[in-house]
Formats: sequence, structure tokens, C-alpha cells
Amino acid sequence: MRNADRVSAVLLLAGALGFSAVALQSWPYTSPEGPGPAFLPFWLGLGMACLAAMMLTRSLREKNAGEAWWPRGVALRHVLVVLGVTVAFAALIKVLGMILATALFLVVLVRYLGRHSWLLVLSVAAGAAGFDYLVFAYWLRVPFPLGPLGF
Amino acid sequence: MDFLSNLQLGFSVAFTPFNVLMAVVGVMVGMLIGALPGIGPPSGVAMLLPLTFGMDPTSGIIMLAALYAGSMYGGTITAVLINTPGESASVVTCLDGYQMALQGRAGPALGIAAIGSFIAGTVGVVLLMLVSPLLARWALSFGPPETFALMLLGLTTVTLLTGEDALKGYISMVLGLMLAMVGFDIISGQARYGLGIAEMMDGIDFLPVAIGLFGLGEVLAGAEQTGKTEIAKGRYGLRDVLPSAADWARTRWSIVRGTVMGFAVGVLPGAGPTVASFLAYTVEKRVSKTPERFGKGAIEGVAAPEAANNAAATAAMVPMLTLGIPGSATTAIMLGGLMMWGLRPGPLLFEKNPQFVWGLIASQYIANVLLLILSTAFIPLFVRALRVPYSILMPLIIMFCITGAYSLKNSLWDVGQMLIFGVLGYFMKKLGYSPAALVLALVLGPLAERALRQSLIISDSGIGIFFMRPISGVLMALALAAVAVPVARALLNRKSGSDPERQNQ
Repeated sequence: MRNADRVSAVLLLAGALGFSAVALQSWPYTSPEGPGPAFLPFWLGLGMACLAAMMLTRSLREKNAGEAWWPRGVALRHVLVVLGVTVAFAALIKVLGMILATALFLVVLVRYLGRHSWLLVLSVAAGAAGFDYLVFAYWLRVPFPLGPLGF
Repeated sequence: MDFLSNLQLGFSVAFTPFNVLMAVVGVMVGMLIGALPGIGPPSGVAMLLPLTFGMDPTSGIIMLAALYAGSMYGGTITAVLINTPGESASVVTCLDGYQMALQGRAGPALGIAAIGSFIAGTVGVVLLMLVSPLLARWALSFGPPETFALMLLGLTTVTLLTGEDALKGYISMVLGLMLAMVGFDIISGQARYGLGIAEMMDGIDFLPVAIGLFGLGEVLAGAEQTGKTEIAKGRYGLRDVLPSAADWARTRWSIVRGTVMGFAVGVLPGAGPTVASFLAYTVEKRVSKTPERFGKGAIEGVAAPEAANNAAATAAMVPMLTLGIPGSATTAIMLGGLMMWGLRPGPLLFEKNPQFVWGLIASQYIANVLLLILSTAFIPLFVRALRVPYSILMPLIIMFCITGAYSLKNSLWDVGQMLIFGVLGYFMKKLGYSPAALVLALVLGPLAERALRQSLIISDSGIGIFFMRPISGVLMALALAAVAVPVARALLNRKSGSDPERQNQ
């Protein structure tokens, strides 16, 4: 946790200063009616920079490395797979259409995480994708992206 | 007094078949969301908000408010049976609730929580009904300085109270405010931080952010847990759930104390059900003649915090409706919903949209009755829902996050935004930051900026305007105190030689 705090403090500090600098450069700080569009962003960036500096000094003083927060082994693999499959799902929505992409996503992830029987996996996927279609596309008339099969 | 006619109006709105149905759906889904570890009330409300866009706003808020009330009770089921809080307001319930379950008394624990919640919820609605119009009338005199001071107070207290580490809480809050700066400036019309992307010009929508942080972020953090959950065995028929006369005698006053404290805490902007439940538990232990029983299955330790969190969830509606300032992450999302439906939260809401406000209030009575019925008679059903393995539950939650984010504006951009904030939410949770503070700041940011700049425009003494007007002066002093307390605590700790970080944990 200590090292993560150091890294995030440095990133936040740099980001905050950049945020303030962009504000001052791009928009007026004052306007005829009073404070301008750069006013609050500038001060927010400065405030964040102070907070980040406080966190940096605190983490630099900390001698104890603290508990490890980063998952390892199976836990890490699970997080990465869940995230990866989810991103792939989002990317495939346009190609396969919402319903097909959803079903495929559920098949892959439910099977990977649970090692359930294919029958259970397929019924969960079909049931949930069907429910999704019924509620959002049919009842709420959300125009889901359509796939090559027309749904 | 026009009080009764208001209530009559409310019931005439709330008792239409569709709105009663929405309350039923809200309570059921809320209990389920509360019960399932991994998704709590904020993600539940965020995911269901898109469902309400096709509806009348009154029906929408009735469903969401019922969901909020239901989730407060649903969290209890998980706390008692698997010693994991289903949502943060049930953390203290684990202490004695799970001990009771181990002693084979899970039934009475759940029963007293249901009855306590019902009493607290109902009393809460009565108080909501009495307090809100008065507060709204008083708030009509508020100018921009008062509004800004009140928002600042809400932001600082939520930051102080939700996180374990005050510094990281403030960082989360300021990050939320910075994100709120993206998009067109409301006063000058200039596009800020758009990076040349059209979608960014409209600003960062809080809903994909909330769904990402609370939904996907929680799921990713939950993906690390690979073990199986153990459900405490017990019987949950109606007869097993009803508390005995002895239990009732022991908890009567705990429920009353929990209700009063819960409501008082919940009304404060920034302090929500979680804080209320902790406070109620502490007080209960202190007034008890046998404090040593606490932590070993004392039924008062379940009744008081459960009453408190329901009373607080109802009370959190007071600042949201009357002042337009949410008391918790969940009400922040509801507030965002209100704005999306085209309603302007604040004191004028009571005058301009009486059927909305009173319909909501009346529906809370209905929701509480429904909650009592569902939570005593249908516990076995929710116990079964807890047996659904996480390997099936998790992909389904992700599915709802994605379809929910998409259906806001039918755009894949929102889905992408949700994914990014999902990853951010994972890191925030792992590293001890406060997603609740970020979301609250993101919702309040544009409103606070407008109030701030309007105040400075009308002021001839710079920021002095905030301190020279009596109401805003008091509010500003309180807000500054909320910032000063953790700083002072850290300094004192350093002097006494102990590790400030430990103390904050």
C-alpha cells in the first residue's frame, strides 16, 4: 500500500498541476461578470496538488511497507480474465449486436469462473440474454445494436 | 392545515396500480441487491435508473426509493447468515447478527431487524412528512452563498464520514469535482477539458461513472475471492422469524433509540445510513446494563442499527428533496435522476411538483408495509438467492452494468466510460479511496460551481460573502471544521508519537 500511495501521489500531483496549468492557459480566469471559466478548475487543481503532496510526504515517512494489496496467483488471473472478457464483450457489441454479444459473454465467463455443466451455462446465457432483450429492447424500446442475424 | 390534503394527494398518486407495482418491484429488487454481496444500493439505483426513463418521474422515484429501503433490509440477511455485509450500512449487524445465527437464532435476528426496520421506516416517513415542508419553506430564503455553503458542508462531511482515510477521502472528492469541470461552462459557455471529443463536451455523465465505480468496480474486487461462502443453517419459516416476548421486551427501546438517532443523523447532509448504524450500535452498547453481551449475539445489537439505517435512509430524502443536496451516494444518484427527469430539486420542488413529492412520501408508507411482509414471509426465498454461486452472479451483474450504461443514451461511449470507471473503482476500493465521495462531488460539482460563481458575482467583498451572512457563515464554519478535524487529529497523533495512518484506519 505504501508504494502504491507513493506512485498515485506522484501521478495525482502531476495531473493536478497540469489541470491547473491547462485551465489558466485555455480560458479566462476572470470575466466582466466575475470569476471566469478557469477560476474553479485552477483552484481545484491547486487543492488536489496540495492533497497529493500531503499524501506523498506521508507515504515517504512511512517505514512500514504495509500489506500487499495486489492480488496474486488465481485471484490475479480471475480479475484479469473478468476484465478482459468484459472489455471484449463491449468491443463486440457493435459487431455481433447486443444480444448475441451478451450471450457469448455469459457463456465464456460463467463457464470459466464456475466450471458448470454446459447445459447450465447455456441456459443461464440464453435466459439472461432473453431477459435483457425483453426488458430493454422490447419493453423500454432501447435501440440495441443489431447483429448479423438481425437481433 | 393543508397537511392532510397533501397526504391525501400523495396517497391518490401512490395507490395507482402501476405505482404500487413499482413499489413492489423496488422493494423486491432492493432486498435482492442488498442481500447479494458485491452490489449495494448505489449500484442498484444506478443500474435501474435507465429503466425509469420511459416512466413518469413519480413512478420512477417510487421504485428507486422503495429499492433503497429494501436494500437496507436485504443487507441484513447477508450480514446475519454469511457474516458479510450485503451493503455498508449492515457492517455492524454482522457483529451480533452472525453470532446469533451461530447460536441457531438467525430467525429472530432477521425478524427483529424486519420489525425494527418497519417501525423505524414508518416513523421516519412521518418525520419526513413533518420536517420537509418546514425546511423547504425555510430554504426558500437561501441565496447562492447559502446553497454553496450547504453543498460544501455536504461534501466535506460525506468525505469525513465514509472513508477510512480522511486524506484519501478528500482526494476522491476533489477528483470528483475536477471531473465535474469537464464540458461546457454553465456561465460563459466555453467548453472545458473536451480534448476535442464531441461526447466530452457534454461533460462526464455521473451515471456511467456510478455504474462503473460501484457496479463493475465491486465485481472486479469480488473476482479475487475464490472461496465458497458458508450460509449459517437455520429455519426461516414465519414462526421461526417472529421474535419471542423476551426478545421484544429487550429490543423495544433499542428500536426507539435507533429510529431517533438514525433519523437525526440521516437528515444531516453527508451523513447517511452507514454512519447512523455505527452510532446506534455504539450508543446501544453504552446504555446497556450488560454491555459484555455485545459481540456475542445480543439482539439489541441487531435491532438498533437496523432501525437506525432504515430511519436514516428515509431521512436522507429530506435534504435531497428540500435542499437538493444528497446525504449519501445513493441519494446523490437519485438526485441526478431527478435532474435527468427534468425536475429541479430544491425548495421549489414542493410548490411546483406536489404530486411528485407527496406521491413519493406516501409510497414510502406502502414500501414499508411491503418490506415487513416480504422480509418476514419470504426470507427462505432470499436465502435461496444467496446460494446462487458468484460465478453466475458476477457475469449477470456485469451484463446489467453494460446494458444499463448503454441504454442511458443508446451510446457505446457511455459503455466505454463505465468500463474505465470500473477499473478506477477497483483501484479506489483496493487502495482505500472513497468512490462515494467522488460520485457525490461529480453530481454536486456543477451546482456548486454555479452557486460559487453567482455568489462571487453578487459579492462586493470577495469570499467574505460566505462568512458575513449568518446562515452561510455557520454552514461554512461547520464545513471548515469537518476539514480541520482530521488534520488536527493527524497532527496530535504525530506529537504523541503514534503512527497517524494506523489511527485513521
